[in-house]
Amino acid sequence: MLASIPSATVLGVRGCPVTVEVFVGNGLPGYTMVGMPDAPCRESRERVRAALASCQFAWPSRNITINLAPTSTRKSGAGLDLAIAIGLLVATEQLPAAAVAGHAFIGELGLDGTLRKVSGVAPMVDALDAVDVVVPVENALEAHVAARGTPRVATDLAAVVACLIGSREWHTFPVHLDLAMREALPDLSDVRGQPVARHALEIAAAGAHHMLLIGSPGSGKTMLAQRLPGLLPPLERDHSLETTMVHSAAGMKLPAGGLLRYPPFRAPHHTTSAIAMVGGGSQQLRPGEVSLATNGVLFMDELGEFARPALDGLREPLEEGVVRVSRSIGRAVMPARFLLVAATNPCPCGGGPPGSCQCDDHARSRYLRRLSGPLADRFDLRVVVHRPNVDDLLGAEPGESSAVVRERVVAARAVALDRAGKLNAALTPDELDEVAPLAVDARSVLREEIERERLTGRGYHRIRRVARTIADLSEPGQPVVTLDHVELALSMRASLRGPAMADSRWIA
Amino acid sequence: MIADLRTGSLAALAGLDLATAGRLRVLLNYHEPVEALAVAAGRCRPHPAVKRMLTPDLKSAWSASVERRDATEWAVRCSRIGVGAVTNADADYPDVLRHDPQPPAVLFFRGQWAALEARRVGVVGTRNATGPGCTFAATLGAQLAAEGVAVVSGLAKGIDGAAHRGVLRADPRRAVGVVANGLDSPYPRQHRDLWNAVADTGLLLSEWPPGTEPEKFRFPQRNRIIAALSEVLVVVESRERGGSLTTVREALERGVDVMAVPGSVNNRAAAGTNQLIRDGAVPVTDVGDIMLALGLDHRHAASSGFDPRPLPRGAEAIVLDRCRVDPCTLDTIVSELGLTITDAAMTLARLERSGWVRESGGWFEEVSSCPASR
Repeated sequence: MLASIPSATVLGVRGCPVTVEVFVGNGLPGYTMVGMPDAPCRESRERVRAALASCQFAWPSRNITINLAPTSTRKSGAGLDLAIAIGLLVATEQLPAAAVAGHAFIGELGLDGTLRKVSGVAPMVDALDAVDVVVPVENALEAHVAARGTPRVATDLAAVVACLIGSREWHTFPVHLDLAMREALPDLSDVRGQPVARHALEIAAAGAHHMLLIGSPGSGKTMLAQRLPGLLPPLERDHSLETTMVHSAAGMKLPAGGLLRYPPFRAPHHTTSAIAMVGGGSQQLRPGEVSLATNGVLFMDELGEFARPALDGLREPLEEGVVRVSRSIGRAVMPARFLLVAATNPCPCGGGPPGSCQCDDHARSRYLRRLSGPLADRFDLRVVVHRPNVDDLLGAEPGESSAVVRERVVAARAVALDRAGKLNAALTPDELDEVAPLAVDARSVLREEIERERLTGRGYHRIRRVARTIADLSEPGQPVVTLDHVELALSMRASLRGPAMADSRWIA
Repeated sequence: MIADLRTGSLAALAGLDLATAGRLRVLLNYHEPVEALAVAAGRCRPHPAVKRMLTPDLKSAWSASVERRDATEWAVRCSRIGVGAVTNADADYPDVLRHDPQPPAVLFFRGQWAALEARRVGVVGTRNATGPGCTFAATLGAQLAAEGVAVVSGLAKGIDGAAHRGVLRADPRRAVGVVANGLDSPYPRQHRDLWNAVADTGLLLSEWPPGTEPEKFRFPQRNRIIAALSEVLVVVESRERGGSLTTVREALERGVDVMAVPGSVNNRAAAGTNQLIRDGAVPVTDVGDIMLALGLDHRHAASSGFDPRPLPRGAEAIVLDRCRVDPCTLDTIVSELGLTITDAAMTLARLERSGWVRESGGWFEEVSSCPASR
């Protein structure tokens, strides 16, 4: 007998519908699974057999063939267990085919028949439209986020069968998708002193400008970066859905309410591999850190210590907002639009005021070389962070709180979106001419900087974008970018050159 | 320069394995260079004194490495880059070094020996110097050269290079550079122009033949030659422990006066020089102090006092005064002087553009006098 049960697997961050075809025929008792299952998927046989027995169903002593269609994509994980079990029940007529019509099944089976959670339920449910999807109770939230109807929720195989034949009602699961508690984030008012770095954070948040923090150990780079997500407004509906899909595909825990409504903050350690950064993997295509940070903040502490391939892997996502990963098991396009914040020491010894560096030239230039080049060029803001002075640390009153700054950020973002339909960091040079005209004196200062070779062509456009954001923050509605906006933008673009390399410039 | 077999032999000898200055000195005392090379190769009978030195190990090391170093080839190579070589036996070999406790056996040179005929002052200091430190070194170099005093230094980054740039500005004949690698490849590479200028107009010396890499252990040995060639050694900036302090030690062993430029107590690059002053070194605050130590009349030409930089006004003056105290950051200006970030950034940008302050790594330092005015 033949049964055909819809289910799904996940490739990258996208769900792929899979049809589980079960054929129980004559011949020597046996079990064959075809259609590119991976190892956990292949092991489903033992789980399904035990689960059926535990739930008082019979395992047919006939020749069983299972085909996972389409056969060309790799099926990974144990999420097809439930569909296989249901397929066997239908094929052996322990369950009428009519009862399962219009249903799809996702879930891993325990030996006692329990349904266990699997990762990637949100994109899977998203891919299975127009059917009722049965999912494990632990995945109910994710399923609700993506489902067009109401997903069916169950705790074990026996319950699924009971509900399908109508001897029991489907379990109702209370979900409040609008439950929107913002988890407690570190507040900007904890940062004492450091007016420049605080302001730079505000600019980065308002214009979505990538930011590099350069400073000695203990100057508070990490502390500042952690406060950036708190300055960003909540995610819009489609961004929120997109980020939720990625987190579901990666098997991350979703917040109460299911949807990620606030920008995620990812801080991978500097030993993170290139694969873990951009996504991929030999067994399964998993989203990497750049995708997990999509619509949020990717914080890379000790940027210079990251492996070269991991840093190079950032270029494509920074340029295009997506990563295209091709591996032997398949190909995936994953979203990767994030605000990059990186922190680095000015040199291997940590640096400090002029004359305090103890590194030899080789060590320093090696360190700076790793930071410079294509990656350093991508940062609109390169801010030098200094240790706050003692008075600020002990005495000063707390600065503005994140909520106050966020209001200004939201207002500035609204101005930018209203004007060009995008945030300032994404403006093209042509659009800049239109929406960020320079005042006469501002133009002449920038011309001078270019003539003195302190600003490249690319740097020129970056300065104009940042200056546009500064103008939006300080004087919303001001059409022209004036000298003070440009000067402030220039002061937030520190050079990565070591002091020793600079000296011939001004002596001779 | 014509290809000269004697120079070639010296270059071949100086590059032999295990060829220390002491061993070469013994060898060259008893044999002419061309003959010495034959001795090293084992093709010629050594003088009894040399024979005593030639242990079996040394003998095999030398005869093996002589195979790889052909005198004619080296002669051509030296003549192509204009390098000559002198030993104790030559008239050009500096007299001060003849009486030195550890004289170099061979000195390779480019330039004119006349540079050493003047009075000589060593100016050394850290490679990671502050802006004001480099400016002061350049000023000292220029003023000493203008007084006809030769400046001996190591052509390193920071203070050394700055001092020689000053010399080249005032009187290029007064530059004497002593380096720790072969004279064929400038090191550090950023100083290629400086290196060539010194070789063209002044004198460039090295104890090692062309092709020698600037390895770490060569620098302290080079420093002893700087100390030996100086009548007075001036340290402009140095950390608590630094290469320039090895030069100081060598100078003290040779009875050379050591002078030091005092720095701010907050300036870590001046920690070593301040320590020297505490230990009894004479402080240098202008070129007159050095002229006094040399026993020369000090006829310091009065500078015109003209500074083309626009005088800072208002907020600029206040910010500049703050930068004079010690290097400060944009944060310092904002929180200590109560300016807005935009005002502070604009003021510093104006000061930097007019040449009053200099920015490096987010720190702003005062530039004490305008380089263009000299």
